[in-house]
Amino acid sequence: MRLILLDNSNEIRGNFYPLALSRPLWELRCGFNSLGQKLIAKVGANDVAYFVPDYMADSYRGKVEWPVNDSSVLNGDDLLIVDPRLKAESFNITAKGPSEVGLDEQGNVLYARIAKDDIGKLSTDNIDTFIANAKTKLPNVKSELSTWQYIWDLILANAEQITADFAAAGQHGIEGTVEQPNAIRGSKKDVYIAPGAMVHPMVVIDAEHGPVYIDEDAQIHPFTRIEGPCYIGKKTILLGAKCREGNSIGPFCRVGGEVEESIIHGYSNKYHDGFLGHAYVGEWVNLGAFTTNSDLKNDYSAVSVILDGRRAINTGSVKVGSLIGDHVKTSIGTLLNTGSYVGPMALIMATGKPLPKFIPSFAWFIEGVVTKGFGKGKLYETAKIAMSRRDCQWTKTEQTMWDAVFEMTAPMRNQAIKKGRRAMLTR
Amino acid sequence: MATVEERVKAITARVLKLDPDQIKSEDNFTADLGAESVQSIELVAMFEEEFGIEMEEDAALSVETVSKAVEYIAQVCKEQGVVTDDREQKTEDR
Repeated sequence: MRLILLDNSNEIRGNFYPLALSRPLWELRCGFNSLGQKLIAKVGANDVAYFVPDYMADSYRGKVEWPVNDSSVLNGDDLLIVDPRLKAESFNITAKGPSEVGLDEQGNVLYARIAKDDIGKLSTDNIDTFIANAKTKLPNVKSELSTWQYIWDLILANAEQITADFAAAGQHGIEGTVEQPNAIRGSKKDVYIAPGAMVHPMVVIDAEHGPVYIDEDAQIHPFTRIEGPCYIGKKTILLGAKCREGNSIGPFCRVGGEVEESIIHGYSNKYHDGFLGHAYVGEWVNLGAFTTNSDLKNDYSAVSVILDGRRAINTGSVKVGSLIGDHVKTSIGTLLNTGSYVGPMALIMATGKPLPKFIPSFAWFIEGVVTKGFGKGKLYETAKIAMSRRDCQWTKTEQTMWDAVFEMTAPMRNQAIKKGRRAMLTR
Repeated sequence: MATVEERVKAITARVLKLDPDQIKSEDNFTADLGAESVQSIELVAMFEEEFGIEMEEDAALSVETVSKAVEYIAQVCKEQGVVTDDREQKTEDR
């Protein structure tokens, strides 16, 4: 059986921006790892293939071992094609069984189990035709499987997911180094410190309300307090952080200040003081000292988020912080409003006031307005430098993907630049 | 219509909060007029608005002096078909 993860609907992908602009949906994280890792583990697949939007195919191909956008994988084996929005915990479709196509209420394909013998009935030229054929020619079933709807769903589910992932990992105890004095509150069965991890003196690990998992080679510096449920990724460094419950951080992050119920992808830094709450932060982000986000409105009403630069979406939650795309850089003292969207590659220079809730991708936010700044070339140069500092390389295929993102996001950015020009003219 | 140079000086004066009469053609935006990097970005934006042109960021921001800016903007205007000098236009009309 071959598991195929399929991410090809722009409409759906938009609900997971800004992170999904530069990665397929299954690379989004919740708990210990990505949605894709959870689905692969749940299905028990050891043969996997991916279909991603064309603009990111070359870049993604360079990051994974399995085939990407290769139609030949549609032949030769039983297939289980899965929408990555499906929640692994409730995914109960067995790999073996008669062909069937599971549809949601709107008729979207959530999964397609296709027996090898039925593949001959379908055109395997490309994945879109293949899925459309499957929907027409194979038995359809109404599926009520649970799905992730928006990116903030992952933030809101993170604490619970960490607890579930900790139980699934089945590890506890101290295999790394814990220098004394320190304090572990709660049951030691709810703490795991992996080999190579180093916990310095004067650290408090509070597992009373949830498990704490400190992964390999992480370093926890003095005066850090980690409250469970919490996952600290490999080679992440916490620098006197007030690490509240519900955080998934890393790998390779450096985090200080106060962080609560947030997901931070790899290689991002929030070295200094400042509050980050109910936020989702991409890769290679640097949040300057005293960057702070609001995650709760003064009137305790539900937070709305603007994902497309136009329409505010009510999250239904009173707590949602910032959604911050890859390679975003914020200056010292940046204040992010409740439910802010910061597009990838945006560069922000704080004004002392809360920022607009929607900052487009590749925007140079300067003196309170979106500008063209020094252009995308300079942003690429900065990204290259940031990556080289961690022994990672900026590749040509990556740049091609970012060029495509730049074009895709141009309308909203240009509109914001025009608005900025008008503001400049009236100063 | 004012000349390109007059318009460049007027924009420069407004963005950098200077007296236009004090701005000389040979002045360097950074060393002589005190433009910081953020103001350079604003200058480019305001030049684009003033002349109705699109300038390539790297080229625009590498311009160092007022006279070079005048030269560069005049060239971009020409490339993008933007008329910049009413006296020149009137001469052509005759």
